[in-house]
Amino acid sequence: MTRRYVLGRLVQVVPTVAGILVIGFLLIHLAPGDPVLALAGENGDAAYYSFVRAKFGLDEPLANQLLTYCANVLGGDLGTSYTQGRPVLDIVVERLGATLLLTGTALVVSTAGGLALGLLAASRPRGGRDIAVTTMSLGLYAAPVFWVGQVSILVLALGTGWFPVSGMTTAGSDASGLAHAADVAHHLVLPVLVLAAQEIAAVARLTRAGLIDELGQDHIRTAWAKGAPPRIVLMKHALRRALLPVVTVIGGRVGHLVAGTVVVEAVFAWPGIGRLLVTALQARDTPIVLGVFFVVAFSVVLANLVTDLVYTRLDPRIRYR
Amino acid sequence: MSTRDSIPASATAELAPARVGPVHDDGRRRVLARLVRTPLGAASVALTTVLCLVGLLAPALAPHDPFAIVGPSLDPPSLDHPMGTDGLGRDLFSGVVLGTRTSLTVAGGVGMLVLAIGGAVGLLAGYRGGWTDHVLMRLAELLQVLPRFFLAIVVIALFGPGLDRLVLVLGLTSWPILARVVRSEVLSLKEREFVDAARAGGAGPARIVMREILPNALPTAVVYVGLLLAQVLLVEASLGFLGLGDPNVASWGYLAGQAQRFLRVAWWLSVFPGLAIATAVVALNLLGDALTDALGRPGGGGGRGR
Amino acid sequence: MRAPVMFRFGVEGQCLFRPPLILTTFPGDSGPGHRFANGGHDMGRLRWTAVGVVAVFLAAGCGSDDDPEVAGPTTDAGVTTTTGDDAPVTEGGTVVVAISSDPGQLNPAITTSGGVHTASELFFNGLVDLDENLEPVPELAESWEVEEDGALYRFNLREGVEWHDGTPFTAADVKYSFDEVLVQLHSRTKASVGAAIESIEVVDDLTVEFRFGQPYAPLLQQLNVTEAPIIPRHIYEGTDPMTNPANLEPVGTGPFRFVSYTTGSEIRMEKNPDYFEDGLPLLDEVVMRVIPEEGSRVVALEAGEVDWLFETPGPDLERLRSSGDFEFLETPVNPGGANCIMTVSFNLDRPIFGDVRLRRAIGHALDREQFLERVLFGQGAVAEAPISSGIPFAHGDVELPEFDVEEAERLLDEAGWVRDGDAIRTAQGVEGVEDGTSLAFDFLHFPTFTAYAELLRAQLREVGAEVTLEPLEPPVFAETVFTNRDFDTNIISYCNATDPEIGVRRMFTTANISTVPFSNAAAYRNPAVDALFDEAQATVETDDRAPIYQEIQEIVAEELPYLWIVETIAVRAYDADCTGFGPSGHFAETASCEQ
Repeated sequence: MTRRYVLGRLVQVVPTVAGILVIGFLLIHLAPGDPVLALAGENGDAAYYSFVRAKFGLDEPLANQLLTYCANVLGGDLGTSYTQGRPVLDIVVERLGATLLLTGTALVVSTAGGLALGLLAASRPRGGRDIAVTTMSLGLYAAPVFWVGQVSILVLALGTGWFPVSGMTTAGSDASGLAHAADVAHHLVLPVLVLAAQEIAAVARLTRAGLIDELGQDHIRTAWAKGAPPRIVLMKHALRRALLPVVTVIGGRVGHLVAGTVVVEAVFAWPGIGRLLVTALQARDTPIVLGVFFVVAFSVVLANLVTDLVYTRLDPRIRYR
Repeated sequence: MSTRDSIPASATAELAPARVGPVHDDGRRRVLARLVRTPLGAASVALTTVLCLVGLLAPALAPHDPFAIVGPSLDPPSLDHPMGTDGLGRDLFSGVVLGTRTSLTVAGGVGMLVLAIGGAVGLLAGYRGGWTDHVLMRLAELLQVLPRFFLAIVVIALFGPGLDRLVLVLGLTSWPILARVVRSEVLSLKEREFVDAARAGGAGPARIVMREILPNALPTAVVYVGLLLAQVLLVEASLGFLGLGDPNVASWGYLAGQAQRFLRVAWWLSVFPGLAIATAVVALNLLGDALTDALGRPGGGGGRGR
Repeated sequence: MRAPVMFRFGVEGQCLFRPPLILTTFPGDSGPGHRFANGGHDMGRLRWTAVGVVAVFLAAGCGSDDDPEVAGPTTDAGVTTTTGDDAPVTEGGTVVVAISSDPGQLNPAITTSGGVHTASELFFNGLVDLDENLEPVPELAESWEVEEDGALYRFNLREGVEWHDGTPFTAADVKYSFDEVLVQLHSRTKASVGAAIESIEVVDDLTVEFRFGQPYAPLLQQLNVTEAPIIPRHIYEGTDPMTNPANLEPVGTGPFRFVSYTTGSEIRMEKNPDYFEDGLPLLDEVVMRVIPEEGSRVVALEAGEVDWLFETPGPDLERLRSSGDFEFLETPVNPGGANCIMTVSFNLDRPIFGDVRLRRAIGHALDREQFLERVLFGQGAVAEAPISSGIPFAHGDVELPEFDVEEAERLLDEAGWVRDGDAIRTAQGVEGVEDGTSLAFDFLHFPTFTAYAELLRAQLREVGAEVTLEPLEPPVFAETVFTNRDFDTNIISYCNATDPEIGVRRMFTTANISTVPFSNAAAYRNPAVDALFDEAQATVETDDRAPIYQEIQEIVAEELPYLWIVETIAVRAYDADCTGFGPSGHFAETASCEQ
């Protein structure tokens, strides 16, 4: 992995990030609806609104606002929330942890689960196990996330009482340390399972496809011909190479997981940034909307960066197109 | 080589479809034959065809106007209303049938946009190279990285619900991968002698595009678009759940969103739209798989066409 | 004359849950110059308020005729418990409450946001509260004198009240709260008291005087914790109230004090042992849990994770009732106000609605019973008159268009809208409308009112009108309807409050056609009605006012600038082991739960 590549790759992050900012900003300001109402409430009078407008600089021309915004962001300031009177960065960071916990765990679970299932299916293509895995993963992939979520609440939470219905912690709980972690973990199970369901399916299918592909390669056949036991062949040769598309999938899937998070957070009342986005949109709290959008997009950029670097590490033979 | 010098912002920003082999003139028929020979292929083709037919014939198939009050509120499935009625007393079956048509429209719209823009951009970038290529690929990367679902939420929540907005947002952000596929096809072709030969023979660029590039790129494109459309349907459903659906059009996502309030008292309201969505997604995915199998690989070894 | 600006009710949706403990009142157009334009009657002005208030109580009686199950200790005008509320009163315990949105911050003095008020009113107090009879009762103010016909109010504050951090509460806190915060940032107070007040004087530590330029009658109605919460001067003075960190760790004088606020998740509060009401509160702790999805809130209640819901969704009501594990509190206090009527407005500035026959036809095409049945699941009542039945003395005896499809079709034909079979009608010879134009118009609504919109669309399709729905979030709705006037029809929950001066006048008078949200959406102009409203305002005795309002309602029921569909109520649900809840505001002050 050349230093040139790494540097080039890092440099490329900048225009991407800038582009994201501009798009987000333009969208918000092109949209109908006056941010003043979100800030001042629906019941003020004209004088009150202009007072508020002046206070928040809403009268500046768009270009000025954009420049100011970009300057601020680069300096770490995402603006101040209209409705909460606090810096947006603080608000988003506060809620980011919950979302990271949810998506991170879902990523790990889906990767591990997907790899395992894919392995299972590829070990004997078109066999019984393969068909079972393929069917199941297809079903999981196709069912809408909120559907799976609600059914799981009704069955596994309300029905059996095994899991809590919503939230990240038990209401009014004083637990700290290990007990608190256990409480959160208990609340985490259903949301993670639901979020990971779609991803497990995708990873399983991809692993399977990649493995089957690999298994058809010449060098694998050579190994077999030489008498190497099939399982070793599978693990050592094929899996490592087949890992590549899976790594690819992880990189691309961060965006998908994040999308699924919005829905899962809604269904399970999980206090993350997906929920924050929807609430802020309803209140026309523009700074928060921009802040969340920016943080999410930036995370995806970061994930891609990491993935690319790992990708080349895994298989240095790869050239780029 | 020029292709190697350009470093993409991310080779992995999105799942790239497996490249599938070129289809030649008589090959098309062979592909179709191969497709329906496998049970999976046959099933997926049949399912997709049925869905398309239902969508096209929807106004004739739906017994009622999906927005009209035609029965008692929250009636379970019965002979009169095979999928039951909703809280206001509207026939769900009609809603699902007309929703099929909406899904078809949305999928069609996104598909066309993606094919058109992606194809054009890919061709342009591959053919011209240099600055054009550079700029276009940067743009493609930017759009690839944008979180589409978030973007759709932001757009719809700001500009109001509407399927046209959804189609635009998804169409305008999903073409990059297709552009890459087309571009790589163009690039690899550029290096082949017979293109020069053809050019020497007086063939104009349009002809080259039609005869060489398209047949090579199309299979991969089709597979990708198929998978993409499945995702589009799921996005529409999720938006409906979040209450961002279009209330003037019967769509599966909207029906699913409406069913929220009645989850405990009327299971049919969420089951049937959900089933419809899942069926369509399954059909599209299976079709994609089957097509991939039937179209074969672009030559042995490698398989690195990702 | 000041343009009237304050319309507190009628703003809908979860984001403006405004629960006054009782249905507090304040006039929307209360510039004293306006009110007393007809020359000064002195005590009469104040008396009418008090008399009106009492009369409301008397007329409303206790409970209502059609509710046989009125029982329990909290029966009063407009608030009925519907199941025997006989859980024993115990001390201690925790109540978990489900709220629909994260408030973001916990200072109710700087905003009118419903989410913030729901979450934070238990931390604070106002000067004066209103009891179930709408009489002012002491809260932070122990007693008061009204002098100079209402131009001077003197409040004698309670002794020994402390802020949650131990600092003594004094009159300086009151002055600060009003001068620096409420009249700057609390939009309703700013527009009403803020416009009229001349000065607030601290006479001594426990006495504060409000001086107005002209007599200001409604003050006592506007001093509860919802309208004018008092916040601590020693924490806020010299800082920007909008960004003071105390907004996230509130310090108040209220029955509960702040423990923690985990954004997006929950707000915890504990009993204030030094609360000035002896023996209250009974509960040890209240936890407010953020659960955005309606269905999830119900599931949480059923699973026992939550003890109190502010609203029970219609579809689940039946199931919850029959389970026997829950009790219910019905109240006409809704998110947005009290005595609310779902009202369809016609944009009278658009030529298509120029003909009253069209409006009347649409009225006949609407089956309001079906709205009650299918949208509200029976909770509430069909609107019988333009003024809510919750204001009995003013509730008119008029004939609103009955559901009659034939009559609707006949009127439409007569008005020049011809129909070809089942198709959408087209204009022929309609004044101001080109021949051939379809009878199609848009319908704006909050997303939470989608069910109403869809039902209306379906019902109007039957008579050949095509309605296109436009769901808009509240800020955008307000701007589109009132600032831009860019709509054909819409639906608004206009809340009448406890006196027509507050919530009804703003819908009909020419002066109230303005950019202020939830004013005269229809742009109805009728000088006769304007004059009648002025007359009613100047009249003292309720008995004399009633016929005036009757006449107004007769006129508008003829002219139909609006269509009044249903009167709405909220059904609160709570664990049967608990008792003593109020409908809103300090709802948990007297509550207790069996352990």
